[in-house]
Amino acid sequence: MRTPILGLAMIAIAAPAAADVPTGAPAPNFTLPDAAGKPVSLAAFKGKTVVLEWNNPGCPFVKKHYGSGNMQKTQGAAKAQGVVWLTINSGAPGQQGHMNGAEAAAFVKSARAAPNAYLLDPAGKVGRLYAAKTTPHMYVIDPAGRLVYQGAIDDTPTANVADIASAKNLVLAALGDLKAGRKIAVAESRAYGCSVKYAG
Amino acid sequence: MIRTFLALLALLVAAPVAAEALGTTNHITPNLVAESAAPAPGSKATLAFAMRPAATWHGYWKNPGDAGLETRVEWTAPKGLAFGAIQYPIPQTLIIAGLMNYVYERDYAMLVTVDVPKGLAPGTKLPISAKLDWLACNPSVCVPETAVLETELIVGDGHADPAKVAQFDRWRAALPRPLASPGHFAITGKVFRIEVPLPATAQAAQPYFFPLTDKLIDYAAPQKVARDGDRLVIETVAHEGAAPAKIEGVLRLGADSGVSLEATPGTIAAVSAAGASERSGDTGLVATLIALGGAVLGGLLLNIMPCVFPILSLKALSLARSGKSEADARGEALAYTAGVIAICLALGAVLLGLRAAGQTAGWAFQLQDVRVILILLVLVSAIAFNLAGLFELPAITGGDALASKGGKAGAFWTGALAAFVATPCSGPFMGVALGAALVLPAAAALAIFAGLGLGLALPFLLLGFVPALRKKLPKPGAWMDRLRRILSVPMFLTALGLAWIAGRQAGVNGMTLALTAAFIFTLGLWWVGRRQQAMKPAAWWPLIPALLVTALIVATVRNAPAAATVATAEPGHERFDEVRLAALRAEGRPVLLYFTADWCLTCKVNEKAAIERDEVADAFAAKKVVTMVGDWTNGDPAISRFLAAHGRSGVPFYLWYPAAGAEPKELPQVLTPGMLAALPA
Repeated sequence: MRTPILGLAMIAIAAPAAADVPTGAPAPNFTLPDAAGKPVSLAAFKGKTVVLEWNNPGCPFVKKHYGSGNMQKTQGAAKAQGVVWLTINSGAPGQQGHMNGAEAAAFVKSARAAPNAYLLDPAGKVGRLYAAKTTPHMYVIDPAGRLVYQGAIDDTPTANVADIASAKNLVLAALGDLKAGRKIAVAESRAYGCSVKYAG
Repeated sequence: MIRTFLALLALLVAAPVAAEALGTTNHITPNLVAESAAPAPGSKATLAFAMRPAATWHGYWKNPGDAGLETRVEWTAPKGLAFGAIQYPIPQTLIIAGLMNYVYERDYAMLVTVDVPKGLAPGTKLPISAKLDWLACNPSVCVPETAVLETELIVGDGHADPAKVAQFDRWRAALPRPLASPGHFAITGKVFRIEVPLPATAQAAQPYFFPLTDKLIDYAAPQKVARDGDRLVIETVAHEGAAPAKIEGVLRLGADSGVSLEATPGTIAAVSAAGASERSGDTGLVATLIALGGAVLGGLLLNIMPCVFPILSLKALSLARSGKSEADARGEALAYTAGVIAICLALGAVLLGLRAAGQTAGWAFQLQDVRVILILLVLVSAIAFNLAGLFELPAITGGDALASKGGKAGAFWTGALAAFVATPCSGPFMGVALGAALVLPAAAALAIFAGLGLGLALPFLLLGFVPALRKKLPKPGAWMDRLRRILSVPMFLTALGLAWIAGRQAGVNGMTLALTAAFIFTLGLWWVGRRQQAMKPAAWWPLIPALLVTALIVATVRNAPAAATVATAEPGHERFDEVRLAALRAEGRPVLLYFTADWCLTCKVNEKAAIERDEVADAFAAKKVVTMVGDWTNGDPAISRFLAAHGRSGVPFYLWYPAAGAEPKELPQVLTPGMLAALPA
């Protein structure tokens, strides 16, 4: 009984610490398979604004924004501006919210979500690359490939759907500032939600 | 048939799940508890959210760490009730898959204080409803939970069930205790370091810094801890781009104990094995300048202390009487200033030397030695007898052998004497400035000692350089002899005080020896004076045997063992004991804690004029105030560290601990009976 626990503990220690990407720095490139297994690279969207969304369909905070339609609305508004939306799942196998390709496709369909791609990161490599800590955890990358926003979807850190109406959507605010050529007013915020269920 | 069976089976299986979902849905069971169900009007009542996480589940601290959520509460209560912020106990660290969580995996209680309005009539019902939102997680799942909790208070006399009080005391004990002295932090690239002033004796079995400020450190990174004398330094990985102006956090010391603190940017010295700490940089400069100002101001105030004023007056008198030239007056003023500053610097250098040697030495340390007291006693009584007219020394007005020298040399030694005598009168401002001197680098500390001297010398310096002021001084005449006799009175009082201190330090025998030395020395001086009056040559020789006897006595007399002089507490006053103090605080008793020393005149005045007055004693008895006294006469190291931990290096120091473990309040260095009687319990 001891050995597996010890082993787990050692894996936990060995797990690389999440390294933050400084706001304003180039967003590191990555390649992940989408729900259909097709590899998708961030570099392919150079010249376009990209939104990254960390997702775990089992997380109550994700449910808050999908169940209310808030996330889908945000996706729609972003896509209307020509923004590329990538949803990423870094849940490890056996953990809450982990999905294979078919399950991911089913989730997108049933939620009427509209990402350009739902990417699978069961090893948590890209999640750790961006130091994604919660679901949801949102990132905005400008057409020059720089990270210009990271943090929460809005400024009201609760699980209560009723709070969405009065909350300020920080992703849409960042996209608005970016489009208008303004300085991003809120470039960082504290992401809130469940912890990303990384392997380890 | 099989279908029905299966359906039934499904129902049976589903039933407990449904029950769980409907009944106790929460993985953390909350409970709203009031310490007193009958709080008194105008009091602060304490409420607790007692939280019981189910096995494997945890709730979150105010700063949840990498993920998680702070607990929120919405109060519904009668108008006028003012609810404070949630006070969190010290959390635990929990790393899950590389993400840090600041959590409670055991039962915990979050406390809230409520101001009960003054005007409420006893019997008034106060229904209170709290909508509490918190996040419950286990290592794989998070659930936002909510509950509406209700309780009803009825305004009464503040009575609380002792069992409840005991329960709340345990909960309060789990809260971090506020640290009075702020820490410093520095961020250099990816390295975050925080320095917390912590007495070397303080236990810190499991030190860990929980920041309340977000985006300050990489939560999951390990923290390196170092103890170095009276400071604790923690180093970890800084969050990208962190540059706050001020940070807050909790320093865990033991498993369930710790301190809450604030820290400002500063430069933190490397932790050395020798324990020597040097701090520099901009923040250090600002702190030094502030402390310097305090030192000058403190020195200025020392002029009106009874043990210094006569010397100053004498010097001013001689300046006015001699009718010297401007250049001479300026020269004397400068020499006096130099004397004061020189002796202050010398005292400071000795203090720094002792500090470097790792000793806990306070400002007035030189007066803890009975031999120093003895020399001062001899000196002061000689001056007093001279002023009283028992003997006359030629040259100028008088004073002791050194200070009475004419011109610049005399002025220099008068200054030196004034500074030396002034040290036990550690007045307002001085304690703070000297406390800073103890933690600042050597050069800055010396600058502060020099500032103290400058302040002390300032009035005389002004007299020397502004003739207009001098002209305001009365013209010389017969009144001067009268004034001289009058000035002998405070000198005699100082001598009396010194004799008493010698007695406290070395017992009756020691005091008798000291008085004998003073007597023989004065006798010798008297003889010298008579020989000089008779114009005899070698008039000074009788002083030689007098000095020899005095030196012999100085060499003989020793401080009595500490135990003999420790039991100084006034009847009804408890002796200073940190464990006892913590216990009293945990009991909720208000405590007046003060530090004193027999050689501290200001302390004695405050005790006689305020602390030991009947009206104060009556008021304290009514409020069940415990008066606790720490006697620093012999430099008790525990008190030295306690003072240092409070940024002080000398007495007097007065602390008022209100009831119910509220934050202690520092009282001014001048006490009045009215102020003490009015302290809120």
